[in-house]
Amino acid sequence: MFDMTLMKIAELQRHYDMTSGVVKALDGIDLDIEEGERIVLLGPSGSGKTTLLNCVAALDSPTGGTYTFGGKEVPRENSEEMTTFRRENIGYVFQFFNLLQDLTVLENILLIQELSGERNKERALELLTLVGLENEIDRFPAEISGGQQQRVAIARSLAKSPKLLLGDELTGNLDSKTSHMVMEVLVKACKSENITTIMVTHDEKLTNYATRVIRLDSGKIISDEKLDH
Amino acid sequence: MSMLLTKRLARSLWRTKLRLSAVVFMVAVGVFAGISFGSYANAATILYDEIYDGEDGVNLADVWIDNPTGVWNSSASESICDSIDSQWPETDYFLESCEARLVLDGMMLTTDSKGSEKVIPAVWHGIDEGMVDKVWMPTYSDLSSGRIAQTSDEIVLDSHVAVDLDIDIGDEVEISAGYGKFSYEVVGIGFHPMHLYFATEGSTLPADAGTFATGYMTDSGLEKLANISSGSSNLILIDVKGTPDYDLQSTSDLNENPEMTKLVKDLSELMSDIDDSPVSVYDRSGVFSVEILRADAEGAANMYPYVTGMIAAIAGITIFLSLQRLIQSQAKEIAVLRTLGVPKKSIMPGYVIAPLVIGAIGSLIGTLLGIYLGAPGMLSFYESMIGLPIRLDTDFSLVFQIVSIAMLIVLFAGLRPAWQASRLQPLKVFRGQHEVKVSSRKMQVLTSKLPATVGLSIRSSLRKPVRVSFTFFAVGISMLLFGAMLFMMSSMEDSLLGGIEEKQSWDIQASVPIDGEASVIDWVEQNSGNYELMINFPIGLEDDSRELISYGLDSFSTVDEKSSMISVELLDGKIPISGSIPTQVLIDEGTSEFLNWDNGDEVTIMIGNTAQKVEISGITKGEISRTMYFHRAELSDLTGIQSTSILIQIPQGTSLDGLSDVTIGYSLKEDAIKTFETLLEQQQQFVQSIQFLGIVIAIAVLFNTLLMNLAERDTELATLRVLGAPMNKLGKMMFWEHLGIGLIGGILGAIFAYFGTVLLIGSQVQWAFYFTIEPQFAATFTIVGIIVGISVALTPIGMWRIKKMDLVDKVKDFSQ
Repeated sequence: MFDMTLMKIAELQRHYDMTSGVVKALDGIDLDIEEGERIVLLGPSGSGKTTLLNCVAALDSPTGGTYTFGGKEVPRENSEEMTTFRRENIGYVFQFFNLLQDLTVLENILLIQELSGERNKERALELLTLVGLENEIDRFPAEISGGQQQRVAIARSLAKSPKLLLGDELTGNLDSKTSHMVMEVLVKACKSENITTIMVTHDEKLTNYATRVIRLDSGKIISDEKLDH
Repeated sequence: MSMLLTKRLARSLWRTKLRLSAVVFMVAVGVFAGISFGSYANAATILYDEIYDGEDGVNLADVWIDNPTGVWNSSASESICDSIDSQWPETDYFLESCEARLVLDGMMLTTDSKGSEKVIPAVWHGIDEGMVDKVWMPTYSDLSSGRIAQTSDEIVLDSHVAVDLDIDIGDEVEISAGYGKFSYEVVGIGFHPMHLYFATEGSTLPADAGTFATGYMTDSGLEKLANISSGSSNLILIDVKGTPDYDLQSTSDLNENPEMTKLVKDLSELMSDIDDSPVSVYDRSGVFSVEILRADAEGAANMYPYVTGMIAAIAGITIFLSLQRLIQSQAKEIAVLRTLGVPKKSIMPGYVIAPLVIGAIGSLIGTLLGIYLGAPGMLSFYESMIGLPIRLDTDFSLVFQIVSIAMLIVLFAGLRPAWQASRLQPLKVFRGQHEVKVSSRKMQVLTSKLPATVGLSIRSSLRKPVRVSFTFFAVGISMLLFGAMLFMMSSMEDSLLGGIEEKQSWDIQASVPIDGEASVIDWVEQNSGNYELMINFPIGLEDDSRELISYGLDSFSTVDEKSSMISVELLDGKIPISGSIPTQVLIDEGTSEFLNWDNGDEVTIMIGNTAQKVEISGITKGEISRTMYFHRAELSDLTGIQSTSILIQIPQGTSLDGLSDVTIGYSLKEDAIKTFETLLEQQQQFVQSIQFLGIVIAIAVLFNTLLMNLAERDTELATLRVLGAPMNKLGKMMFWEHLGIGLIGGILGAIFAYFGTVLLIGSQVQWAFYFTIEPQFAATFTIVGIIVGISVALTPIGMWRIKKMDLVDKVKDFSQ
């Protein structure tokens, strides 16, 4: 049978040695994620959501456990290998968009392509059309709204066709109407590109766009529910 | 003002210690340089005044009447002084004394390091009454000792000679003045006001060790040496009561003392009535040694406030930019304080005090270094250069002046950032609107065709145009320090060494006694050599106290032809045509500049007391002194002199035996070259120190700005890293960015340095010392290369910074 598993995480730990003792940000996470899933990670502050996201993105190195992506072990500790992994597999959308203010909407996408090795203007325009910003390509980020900026950020994260898109509170800086619009765009884009997504949020409403909801507390998964969306 | 707010600011500043130390360093350097230069200027001015007119000074004459063509006998000398006394012009000044003196060219015989006889050109002074232009023997310095000469076989040697040739009191020296050699006992070592600046006649550069000598003996001592009758003289020294001002050559539009100028003119007219000799009458401005030292001290005095100001301005710019960055990074804190009700007036003082504290620390360090290191070092350097005992007295008014300049600049630098800090709008800050600035559309259009990485590099480098402009300006000033020295040294080397190596092909320049040419020519012919006769004669200007040196040349050629022993570099016009009416002459660029004389002009000059019209056929380039070239035959007709020296070319290896018997003295071209080389070498250390300073300051300025640029782009770079941008691509991007900034900064720095140096030199040139700066490819390339090098060297630091970036932390920041 064809294996649809994108990533496997087993007994994943991220412990921090502090003067006050060991802090267990992640304490034995087991998680298998299938291609095309849209996962929402929920949990109170300090539950380990962002740490898990950072480990998945290879921004942070787990202190224990295993993590394979596409059947291969994800690098840890080696900064350049981790960067290469991110470049080849991960898209990332930030809460505050983090667009480069000196570049236009289109150039923000082209930049990521150039830094990843190939510039493809047609693909960039295609992505901007996908997120509904085909008429804003020559505007600077400061000239468009927050929701539009986040849609640019989504298009940017898709620019190098990642297998996994991660979002950290990506609607945290938007009002509910705009959040809804952004999420619609995201879902549409990810479906069209067959991209798996993991979104960290405090906002229960985002579960409406998820196929799976995972809740964390004290560094452990306390529930893992698949939804029929 | 809240102490806690101030404490908070101090702690924030402390976090940027590296940048803080750079600013303190720059203020310190500015104050240090100001005190060092200023101390020299003050000490030199005080010293010269004391030497000339102080109680233990030399009582410098006020007017000189020089007879360059011959010697007055005893009765003529007495008669001139009597006539001057009895026919003293109607003036506010009263005659104090009139003293006739004999000053002759000659030579000193010594041995070189190989033990061979060496002849040094010399000037000997025969001093009778010695009421004016006395020998100066300061007791506070071990550069002078002994007493003045009292008998006809005693001599006081100039300290420069005694030090250079290691001669002590009690030693015998063998000297001549064209008529045999005599031994004199050295009874004193001292200085003479005509030779405080120790240079051979006609040279603007101090003579190299062992290439020139002067000595001061009794009048009978020199008469014996020159085989001249008792009481002879060729120089009349006139002292008037008091110390009147004289006309400064550096201020051609302003006559400092019209009464003194009138006295000189009246005495000149009087001399033409009582004597036929073509005499030259001049005040203190016409004495090269007096003029060049005054001009030097004046130049240093004019220069030091600018040097301090320039360096302090760089420090000011750095403070301004650093404070702006600090305020930007503290915007949220300030906004919180403002939201909590802290008034504007409580925010502002801290940001005003901060630069003042930085300035005060820098000034203190600079003052201590200046007083205890810079000023003594500077005076010691000049003492070794010009051989005069300069005394160091700390002048606290100077220290106050310098520190005030520095503190004022840092205060102004801090005012705007402080004002900006107090006016931050909390709401805008919380919305992030104070940081977000729409990028320039023009810049976007200009760079839209470029790859996004290149476009980003260009746009982010120019994102803060004020910062970039200020940085380039500060780099330009620091390159002015570096480049001025580089351009000056290269131009000086070209002008001085090139002047003698490329424009002059003689081997020996021999001074001949009146009508003594034949013996020298015989000697040249016996040695299979070639010769050209030459006349050097001082010429005056109508209603102007300044003098030019005229050269009468046997034949003319340009530097391209080099068919004569002295060739000229024509800037404009053509070689004078012999026999033209009026007589055609060439003038140097400096004369043209100062007198506003141009090619084709007919102008009046004074040969002795006679006005003479000449036509300028061309303007030459490269002469440091004010010069006029004639065909020798024509100058001879005007002066009555056949020649004053003979230029000689001899086959290599020819012995100079017998030449000293037929000449008054001679100098070798190789000695002149050595003099220039030594001077350039002596300047190297000083020049390199200033250059080093310029580079260090440029590094500090560029580092400061580029580090701020990098720090501001942390978010951008972290975002790119999170999105998977590889280090090598970011490194390349940063490299091109720094290369671009370096190239622009370097080119601007070179332009700034060149034009700055031209302006600087333009403000410093004097009648006695004219100099132009030529654009030099090598110097320009060096400046651009240094700035590019400094800028590009920051790439690894930027890379290191990105590598050290904690992306997890940055991602946390992104969510806050």
